[in-house]
Amino acid sequence: MIQFENVTLTYGGAAAVRDLNFTVAPGEFVAVIGANGAGKTTVSKLMNGLLKPTSGRVLLDGVPTTALRTSVLARKIGFLFQNPDRQLCKPTIREEIAFGLALTGRKDAAARTEAVLREFGFDGSRDPFSASRGERQRIALASLIAVEPEVLILDEPTTGLDYRECMAMMARVQSLNAAGTTVVMVCHDMELVLDFARRTLVLKDGTLLLDGETRSVFRNTDVLRRASVLPPQITRLSLRLGDRLQPADTVEEMEAAIRAARQKGVPA
Amino acid sequence: MKGFLDYKPGDTVLHRLDPLTKIFLSVCICAACFLGEEPAFLVFLIGCDLLLGALGGVFDRAVGMFKGLLKLSIFLFVLQLLFVRSGVPLVGQPPFAITDLGVLTGLRLVLRLIGATMPLALLLSVTQMSDLSGVLVQRLHVPYKYAFTLTTAIRFIPVFANALSAIMEAQTARGVAFDTKNPFKKLGLILPLCMPLLISSVSRIHDTAAAAEMRGFTLRTRESQSRRYTFQSGDLVAALIAAALVAAGVLL
Repeated sequence: MIQFENVTLTYGGAAAVRDLNFTVAPGEFVAVIGANGAGKTTVSKLMNGLLKPTSGRVLLDGVPTTALRTSVLARKIGFLFQNPDRQLCKPTIREEIAFGLALTGRKDAAARTEAVLREFGFDGSRDPFSASRGERQRIALASLIAVEPEVLILDEPTTGLDYRECMAMMARVQSLNAAGTTVVMVCHDMELVLDFARRTLVLKDGTLLLDGETRSVFRNTDVLRRASVLPPQITRLSLRLGDRLQPADTVEEMEAAIRAARQKGVPA
Repeated sequence: MKGFLDYKPGDTVLHRLDPLTKIFLSVCICAACFLGEEPAFLVFLIGCDLLLGALGGVFDRAVGMFKGLLKLSIFLFVLQLLFVRSGVPLVGQPPFAITDLGVLTGLRLVLRLIGATMPLALLLSVTQMSDLSGVLVQRLHVPYKYAFTLTTAIRFIPVFANALSAIMEAQTARGVAFDTKNPFKKLGLILPLCMPLLISSVSRIHDTAAAAEMRGFTLRTRESQSRRYTFQSGDLVAALIAAALVAAGVLL
């Protein structure tokens, strides 16, 4: 469990985040959204101790992150950065995956490495830097997953990926979440947030504007406007249609709503 | 010392100096550091460096740089104490004594290191790289491609420092103990980072080269410059002070 208690962080006198209070329970899939500079990445880095709060506390399973080094917290928290090239540092994919396991002192490192290679379908002898952007992101994810962290933090995980790569990545993340891994995702892609996150935090200028179930968050247009965030296209369409159709946040729901409206004889 | 070469915008007396004068001033302070023998004079030169920082509105950066260099200096000072054998023993017995010459040599070394390292970095942080390359081409007749290469190399120092910092952050998040207090252990951990840093650096250089060529880099000549650089009275005063410091270095 991750708890933020009155967390404030200042950089050179200016507050990056202010008085944040929220809890992420085990097994949740939480998205953090907001405009550039809203404090999303700061929040994610506070969670794994890369940043320490100026005041207040960030607790991981009841232990303040200030009491633990980030390299120790890495055993529990996996952090996928926007740029995978910062995480990759070994000449082969096999060594890359084994590296994270070696850092955590896993005794079954060799067997686990081979299992993850098979799971992702990687050729372990390949140079990770010769892979495509999407593949490099998957390699970085695989090396994190190999360690089996309790919490997975994703900072803009799909930036630079095409639709197919994006879906492959998110499907893997979703299956991890279904197996009990807590996922916190910083994201600019609202469609992705709507599709995968069950809970969403909206930030603006380092403060928490809204914390709620993702669908209800996207229907709170006043708060989203203040946070300079546009809801997903399908939600916007549903909102514009207003009371004439049932609320719909997926294509399937929209089709069902249109069918229901036709049956009731609602004029087009 | 993160971001210590980043340009700090402003309109201070140092910002207004001609870039060539700034280079001359920093070279003269460096020369005075190596010519001067008296520790008091070397301390005075460090004071001049801090004064430059204050005049350029980058005093915090100057103090940060001073503190960073001081940490390195302690290590170098101890090395001098341990390895200089000549002179009068102050502590212990030969051949394991700390001598007066060891103390003096160590003191000179660290004062010179601090005094000579700071001025160029401080003056570059109040100089736009475009002005630096401009003045090199216009006044010193350096071919533009070499001036551009030099200024790009300087500009890339903070960029690479930031990239290294980001890579270390990402590796720490994976469990690499960069957050250790042990500096030797930390140094050993940096070596494996050469690979990602090299990859990102080459990629960035390739992108920059492609962008420069797309913008007609190869067509640029000395006559292409729109801005003209002229010496002002402030430049003359700064040059005289610089020359005086070198003279004092020779005498002291």
